[in-house]
Amino acid sequence: MHRAKRILAVAAFVLLASGSRVFAEFSALHGFFEQAVALRISDDKPTKHKSYNMAESRLQLKGQYNFSGDNLFSDWQAVFRYKGDLTYDAYFGGKTDFEPREANLSFGPAAFMDVKLGRQVLTWGTGDYLFINDIFPKDYVSFYIGRDDEYLKKPSDAVKLSFYPRPLNIDFVVIPYFEPNTLPEGDRLAFFDPFQGGIAGRASDRHLIGPAAQAENFEYAARLYRNFGSAEGAVYLFRGFDKMPRSYKDEARRQLYYERQDVFGASLRGPFAGGIGNIEAGYVRSPEDSDGDDRLIENSSFKAMAGYEKDLGGDLKAGFQYYYEQKLDYGAYKAALLPQDFFWDEHRHLVTQRITKLFKNQTVMVSFFNFYSPSDQDGYVRFSASYDITDQWKVTAGTNIPWGQDEHTDFAQMKKNKNIYVRIRYSF
Amino acid sequence: MVLREKGGIVKKIGFLLVMFLGVGLTNSYAQISSDEVAEKASHVSYYQGKDGRSLAHMVITDAQGRTRERKMAILRFNIGETQEQRYYVYFHMPADVKGMSYVVWKHAGRDDDRWLYLPALDLVRRVAASDKRSSFAGSNFLYEDVSGRSVDLDKHELVDSDESFYILENTPKDAGQVEFSFFKVWVDVKNFVPMKAEYYNKEGKLYRIVEVLEVKDIQGYPTIAKMKASDLNSGAQTVAEFLDVTYDIGLSEDIFTERYLRNPPRQWIKE
Repeated sequence: MHRAKRILAVAAFVLLASGSRVFAEFSALHGFFEQAVALRISDDKPTKHKSYNMAESRLQLKGQYNFSGDNLFSDWQAVFRYKGDLTYDAYFGGKTDFEPREANLSFGPAAFMDVKLGRQVLTWGTGDYLFINDIFPKDYVSFYIGRDDEYLKKPSDAVKLSFYPRPLNIDFVVIPYFEPNTLPEGDRLAFFDPFQGGIAGRASDRHLIGPAAQAENFEYAARLYRNFGSAEGAVYLFRGFDKMPRSYKDEARRQLYYERQDVFGASLRGPFAGGIGNIEAGYVRSPEDSDGDDRLIENSSFKAMAGYEKDLGGDLKAGFQYYYEQKLDYGAYKAALLPQDFFWDEHRHLVTQRITKLFKNQTVMVSFFNFYSPSDQDGYVRFSASYDITDQWKVTAGTNIPWGQDEHTDFAQMKKNKNIYVRIRYSF
Repeated sequence: MVLREKGGIVKKIGFLLVMFLGVGLTNSYAQISSDEVAEKASHVSYYQGKDGRSLAHMVITDAQGRTRERKMAILRFNIGETQEQRYYVYFHMPADVKGMSYVVWKHAGRDDDRWLYLPALDLVRRVAASDKRSSFAGSNFLYEDVSGRSVDLDKHELVDSDESFYILENTPKDAGQVEFSFFKVWVDVKNFVPMKAEYYNKEGKLYRIVEVLEVKDIQGYPTIAKMKASDLNSGAQTVAEFLDVTYDIGLSEDIFTERYLRNPPRQWIKE
């Protein structure tokens, strides 16, 4: 429960720092109530339930306090924002959970500076479902079972300092508590488990070891950005850990861990050929295996992507992305492998397409997103349609269709989790 | 809802300039050219004051009488005496888009730059939007109704005038870019406020009307307080009211950047 303690600590800080002379404007409570179901459409179902992979109710509440009155917090335009989800998960026998997604205090102590302190969702970078310099935690279980896109992003407990001197804006983020990506564990979604020798469901019993919570394991991320006319340029720096457990701690005990990782990257985005173009690249350094000759630890890599999106008129938009990833020191990696090891390719190519069309005065949205990797021979089709029945009621239906030839590549390993989902939401 | 466009209604949010109707104090009934009328109407509609804010409240009613509501705070900033402008839109309603913000850098002669901030994802998305003849926030107003259609895009002909109105007929120079064949505008001779616009389709049939229902004097600027757009084909209509309009409030150009997209300027977006 140290997560709850952290939330309380932030709240306590707010109260202590503000003293007794603080007045807050309480905003009305907003949020939504949602019912969601996803039915499996794959043949082979090694997971807990054979016919579905999502059946849940969700109540999200959010609000904010704007500090006012004659005090420092008011002068700093301080705002405390909170948002939490209460869930009832029928997939796991009616388990209830409370997830605080936001609980943070933001304020501007100087004209050139903003601070955001506490639990917050963090995002930067230019990709559409593709991430190079956005090294903040993601929830891929939510992504594959058909929850709203909001849940692809996991919150971090962090301090974010933003500086706005004239020539350049700077974001500096400190994340004291490592938060990994949420990945399939086999009970809800089947995935490739090297310890099981293939795609595994409930049989998987691997252990994921995160870094210890101590000062030397704090993560640091920075973004330096500015506009060049209508174009936006950014440089990114990160020192922390891989959010995916890609390295082996102890093979015999089926232990994987999150190896140290540094990322240096850059991006450019702006008007291009009648639409919006973006390019982004990053060098991912693996300091624990800088020569790449340790077969148990992920190698360094280079990643790059280019994207383009255009408004075709009539509420129709189309987007394309190309993504490239290269494992560095590949020769050393290959030479170090043992005969029984699974091995990864040196190059990965991935293309995506997105088509979005709105109908009926923008109350109906149809979206088609497709990942395809010619090098991995796999892909992932995401189709969704939503209808705003009223300003409050919305129904969304869609499919998640990952596919592939092999079992270990990114999308192919998810191929036993194909589903169709429906969500009904009441917003208030 | 997809990552790029949280809800269709924010898709085409541009900038609601119409509430910033200012007055041209000159009053010249005679000897005025059609281009002059068009330019003055555009100027008083979209460029008066150095900056301004308003709270826009829209009610969309479909042919069956079902209604939807939109409420948003809108900030505007003129870049000197140029045609360049900045807009900031913060959504209060409906609930599923509450908290989203939108920044537009309006350019003369090229596509505008637009950014949308989705707070649930902490995502600043660049919006590709070159079609200005699509619905604004799912309403019966089009992007161009509220951002202003550049006078350079049409040929203007003064077809009639009386003691109340100049009547302009406007024909697009590039007919392929728009869904209408021409539109007529009734411009008030006293203050150059365009009080009514009628749009005719390629068959010459009237299919769309935009009309001003109420004009108020605010800080010396005659300001549209209420207007209506009607789609005669679908039977739907949208009434927009502009509340708390103020001009020359001393906005800084910094407001229209990523910093304030992520941290909405509290004092200006209040309901």
